[in-house]
Order: sequence, then structure tokens, then C-alpha cells
Amino acid sequence: MHFTPLPYLDPGSGSFLIQLLIAALLGLGVAVRASWSKIKGWFGIKPKADDDDDELSE
Amino acid sequence: MTMTNYLNSGQLPASFRDPSGFLFSRDGVLYRQVNQAYEREYARLMESGLYEKLVKARLLIPHVELDPSSAESEAAGTTAHKVIQPERVAFISYPYEWSFSQLKDAALTTLSIQKRALKLGMSLKDASAYNIQFVRGKATLIDTLSFEIYKEGEPWVAYRQFCQHFLAPLALMALKDVRLNQLLRVYIDGVPLDLASGLLPAKTRLNFGLLTHIHLHAGAQKKYSGQEVKSRSGTMNRQAMIGLIDNLEATIRKLTWTPQGTEWGNYYDITNYSDAAFQHKKELVRDWSMRVRPALAWDLGANNGVFSRVVSEAGSYVVSFDVDPAAVEQNHRQLKGEKAENLLPLLLDLTNPSPAIGWANLERESFGSRGPADLVLALAVIHHLAISNNVPLPQLADFFAQTGKWLVIEFVHKEDSQVKKLLASREDIFPTYTREGFEAAFKEKFIVHEAVNVRESERVLYLMETR
Repeated sequence: MHFTPLPYLDPGSGSFLIQLLIAALLGLGVAVRASWSKIKGWFGIKPKADDDDDELSE
Repeated sequence: MTMTNYLNSGQLPASFRDPSGFLFSRDGVLYRQVNQAYEREYARLMESGLYEKLVKARLLIPHVELDPSSAESEAAGTTAHKVIQPERVAFISYPYEWSFSQLKDAALTTLSIQKRALKLGMSLKDASAYNIQFVRGKATLIDTLSFEIYKEGEPWVAYRQFCQHFLAPLALMALKDVRLNQLLRVYIDGVPLDLASGLLPAKTRLNFGLLTHIHLHAGAQKKYSGQEVKSRSGTMNRQAMIGLIDNLEATIRKLTWTPQGTEWGNYYDITNYSDAAFQHKKELVRDWSMRVRPALAWDLGANNGVFSRVVSEAGSYVVSFDVDPAAVEQNHRQLKGEKAENLLPLLLDLTNPSPAIGWANLERESFGSRGPADLVLALAVIHHLAISNNVPLPQLADFFAQTGKWLVIEFVHKEDSQVKKLLASREDIFPTYTREGFEAAFKEKFIVHEAVNVRESERVLYLMETR
């Protein structure tokens, strides 16, 4: 008996694609932090969700 | 290989999935075979300095390589490259038995390993919570064969598993209800992300980490399920990988849980006995532990582990079980401060202990099959089992006789205010629940070595040995 309504579907593809997307965004953040070491701490500290969004919009 | 063959060959069923190697036991000693297929990865782990670095940081279990001419090596199959002997883990525990901070420590250990591995050209191919164990008090990776050679451009193959095994349950525990860690007992490969996404409060969508790694992740799984993704490489550079791991780490660090309510921090303030009684109990437990000298002791109903510490100070490894997540959490936090290495707090409902789960019910062991302990401590617990849970005394005696060789048990009689509380809202259907009834039932299974009235209390402490 399957407890999932879609027993033949593999969640792997979605996990793979979303990871690429998220990592691409976060990779940008890493690049920004590396380039501007002066403001590193400012970018590195992410106490609120808003700050995350700010970082990603850069 | 059939189930019987597994057992006959000594190969342990917990590691059957891994093509890199497997665990087997011979004469009670645990070995890990490294398959030929894993030769290159194993060499990289050992030669790159990664192994040494991780072992030094106490993130990975140390092992020794066996001489190829040894009996264990020769017994290994033709697929063997090497046989290694990892340090023995005193007690195997599972994520559904961990408190919030224990699971969080395990998650951070996993990410910390991944970061160090990336620097030396390797990456974790598994991020299973079952690969982490508490070794001398610290969350440690026990699967030496979890590494693969990192190829820049490839995504983290264990990303989904990490989200299911760690991030989803931690977010649920921190932001919804701490008891949701019990989902791990049902879902052996971690909490399905669509389930986590549905259960988490809407406000978690404002948290970037939870929005992406859980909510959007679950959405993407649904949207792309059944679709084949063509090229699975060359699309995620090192910087992106580091950004991903850093963000998972930051997201997890921000998740916290501090128990609410009156229980926190004052377990022993709500007991009904005096300091003198408490001290006397401690003395008795200390004396009897020194006398029995157990290698492994289980404290059942340990609260925040006061008596567990008394036993561990006598040189035993003590597993300190309690049903209350707040008590286990407090015990674990206290332990980190003390840097105590021979105590493990775990969550356990004695009235429904951890079952054997997984494929053929062989992957994760039940509570009982991880015993018996040399000494079982059952202090202020019998009334909960006999009265709240209606277990007849002879069956309790049976249970304790199977659980350990020696037993230190406290009898709490019916006139005790704590028992009166339990009986206040129900009919007293326990005519045999008396000191005499208790002793008669337990003498069937145990030799009673000591029976001492606890000072300034009506309680009796017993030292018993199984017949």
C-alpha cells in the first residue's frame, strides 16, 4: 500500500532543478561577499528574511 | 541475499543499500568492508588529509585499517578492497529519539563536514540522519564511505535528503510543534517536503531559507515529478555550491526551540520529597553503581538526568531516557556545558518504545534489541507504568528482567501524593499495587539484594539481579 497519491513519480527532478535555481542565487551572494570584503559582514549577517531578499536582489 | 543470509554472514542489514561497502560483525566486533568499487574515493579521503582533519575535529569516526592477511580481511568477499574497523559507538540512537538540539547538532555536523570536504575536493553523497551518532557526546559521522569525489558543476546529490532528514523536521519542531520529530519514526527517509510545507505556519514563507528549501522545493517536486531532467551536470559551480551549504547552515542556526511552561528547569522542585530523601537516593544509587560496575546503564524515566550523572560518574556509559522532550533537551544542553562524554540523553516513551523499522523491519533496531543493559535504573517510574498505563506488576517484572541484568527500582506506594494524583480521576482497579504485591511479582524474576526505605519518605529503593 502506498501512502503517497503519486507512487510512480520521482521527486528527484524537482529537487534537482530547484537546487540549481536556489544555488545560482546564493552563489551570486557568495560572489558579492567575496568581491566587496568591506561590506562582507553586512551581507554575511542575515537576521531577517528581508535581508536575505536584499542580498539576493543585488 | 535473503534475510537469514545477512544474519549468517554477519553482514548488518543497516547498510545493505550502499554499493561502496557494508558493515559486518564478527565475534562481537564491528567491521566495515570497503568495496573495490570505492577504492578511488577511499584513497582520496585518506590521502587528501580530509580524514585526518575530520577525525581531529571529531566530526568523523576514527578507524583502523586491518592487515590484509587478518582473518577478518580474508573472510571478506572478492569485492573487497579493504576492511576497516571503526571505533565502537557505545549506543546507537535514531533521530526520532533525539531532542531538538541533538538533531540540530547532527545537521550542523553534516554541513560542517560538507564544507570541509568541498575544500579538499570531496562531497557527501549521503546526508542521512542515521549516519550521525553521538560519539563521546558529540554528533559524529559514522559512515566512512559517505564521500564522493567532487566534480565542479555537479549539484549536491544529498540536497533533498538533507532537507528531508534535517531541515524539515527541525523547522517543524521549532515553528510548529516539537513532537513532530516523531514523523521521522514513520518516514524513514525523512519528512516528505510536501507534508512539511503543508504543516508549517504560513509565516515561514517569509523566511528565505524555509521558503526556498522547503516550500518552493516541495512545489518543484510536484511540478516536475515524472519529468526527466536531461543533463545533470555542468550547471552548478563551486560558488553556488558554497552559497547553498552556507544558506542551509544559516537557516538551521536560526531555528531554535526553548521549552515553555513550568517544567523547564525545575523538575525536582515539583517532586514531593525532601532534600534529605533526594540525597539518600543519590547515595544509594552511587553505592550500588560502584558495586555493580555496569559498562552500560539505562536510566528509564531519567528526567533531566540527575541520577544518570551519578551512575556515569561511577564509570558507566549511561543512556538517559525520558518521554518529555523538554527534559531530554535540558539534559543534552547541560551535557554540552559539562563536556561529559559517557552520557546520552534520548527521547523514549516506555509505554510505546521505539520499534524496529525499515526494510524487513531490520534497518533500525527496536529499543529492546539494543539491550540488554548491565544496569537499569527505574526511579519514580513504576507508578506511571502500573497505574497510568495499567500494566500488571508481573508484566512489569518481565519487562525489566528482559531489559537489564541488574535493576535499581523505586517503589512508590499508593498513599504517595504523586500516586494519589494519578488515582484522583479514576477508579482504583489496582488491588495488588502494594509493596507486598510488588515484591511478590518481582521476586519471580529477580533476586532482591537490597531493599532500603528512603530517608524522610515512604518510598523504597531496591537493588535486584535477574534470576
